[in-house]
Amino acid sequence: MKKQSMWSLRLSTAALVLIPVAVGVNYIGKLLAALLKLPLWLDSIGTVLAAMLGGPIVGALAGAINNIIYGFTDPISFVYAITSVAIGLVVGILFYKGFISSWGKVLVAGLIIGLVATVVSTPINIGFWGGTTGNVWGDALYTFVLAKTDSTWLASLLDEIVVDIPDKIVVVLVSYGIFKGLPQNVVQLYTNNQKIETLD
Amino acid sequence: MKSISLYEEKASFVHDVDPITKLWYIPFAILIPIILPSFTISFLFIGLSLVLLLGAKVIRKTIPVFGFVFLILITVVLIQGMFKPENETVLFQIGPLTMYKEGLLFALTITLRVINIICAFMILVLTTKPSDLVEALVRKGMSPRIGYVIVSVFQIIPEMMATMSTITDAQRARGMETEGKLLVRIKAFIPLLGPVVLGSLINTKERAMALEVRGFNSQAPKTYLYEEKTYQFSKVLQIGMLLLTMAAVSWRIFL
Repeated sequence: MKKQSMWSLRLSTAALVLIPVAVGVNYIGKLLAALLKLPLWLDSIGTVLAAMLGGPIVGALAGAINNIIYGFTDPISFVYAITSVAIGLVVGILFYKGFISSWGKVLVAGLIIGLVATVVSTPINIGFWGGTTGNVWGDALYTFVLAKTDSTWLASLLDEIVVDIPDKIVVVLVSYGIFKGLPQNVVQLYTNNQKIETLD
Repeated sequence: MKSISLYEEKASFVHDVDPITKLWYIPFAILIPIILPSFTISFLFIGLSLVLLLGAKVIRKTIPVFGFVFLILITVVLIQGMFKPENETVLFQIGPLTMYKEGLLFALTITLRVINIICAFMILVLTTKPSDLVEALVRKGMSPRIGYVIVSVFQIIPEMMATMSTITDAQRARGMETEGKLLVRIKAFIPLLGPVVLGSLINTKERAMALEVRGFNSQAPKTYLYEEKTYQFSKVLQIGMLLLTMAAVSWRIFL
């Protein structure tokens, strides 16, 4: 049984239907985090799940469409679409290479994804906001580092890291938990092998 | 069910403009202040966008968006005004805090840029129905499959929010606490999120089958349910914006 390449651009109907659900899950996660007053964003669970189920291309598409739609309620999101695309791509690749297969590995994967998100977001933060993120803890650190070292880049990078890494670790852990709870017939919809079984 | 889009149905000359022209306006309004960086140009474009928003009678809808953004902008002004590395000229002091001229000017640049971008997007978002925009893009050559994906998000999110409120009520009825210490609130996250996500993912199977049965994958050319709405000045506006952008570029290079 040969698996189709993870970069296949031929999206099945199931994969396309997954994208709006992923955007919805992101939205619900963000809403719940705000409702429960949690100190994290938790707004990328859907993108991560879509990338696990459908591969990097579906993950990246889900990330892009997610931020375009968020843009209809808050135009700043458009700019961060690049970060979402990067998250979708990285999760898809990590999952395909088997890095998201046990709780221990998931922790490391979360760290990697958090770092990637930080590296992509920092230049956007600097170009757009002058380096701050709008998160209270991150901005306090930004101010402290800026006053000590005079480096906007270092301050902004650390500002983003303290928020992004814990956030992405939790997101990947939650997504993996949900993924493990999914019934097999749903997971199989997306495994993309073209094999047809016959009964005769 | 509450819609997540900010679109407001009104009769105005801005609503009559076709979505593609309004889409063009966004890069136009963002690029020119970048090509010609001066406060006058930025104020000019913010003013133009605000006039259009006023003309469209949707200015009140922008208040919550700006309220959220102003909160972040205030921290930008404070942090840059006090701590920007290039700060030299003291402008004024409030108690132990010193505000510097360089940082405040930089913060003003950021504020104007952000407000300008938001105004430009708001014109599109508040006066265009998302499905109209998607339809216009599909007519311009975007894949109808991607078009379906975007439109269906606007249907799925209210559906999922309704499911979530049902599940929140059910879990509360079973005695789950959603308020209190941080640990209590963290513990509430999974039992609230899990069922909604699992349910929606399981539903995708039925949705995919329903679509395929209706010929979603068919290669035949697609037709449209609604007739194309045309706007008589769209070509004039689009060419006008292109010419102005080119004029701005040559102004920057030659003058």
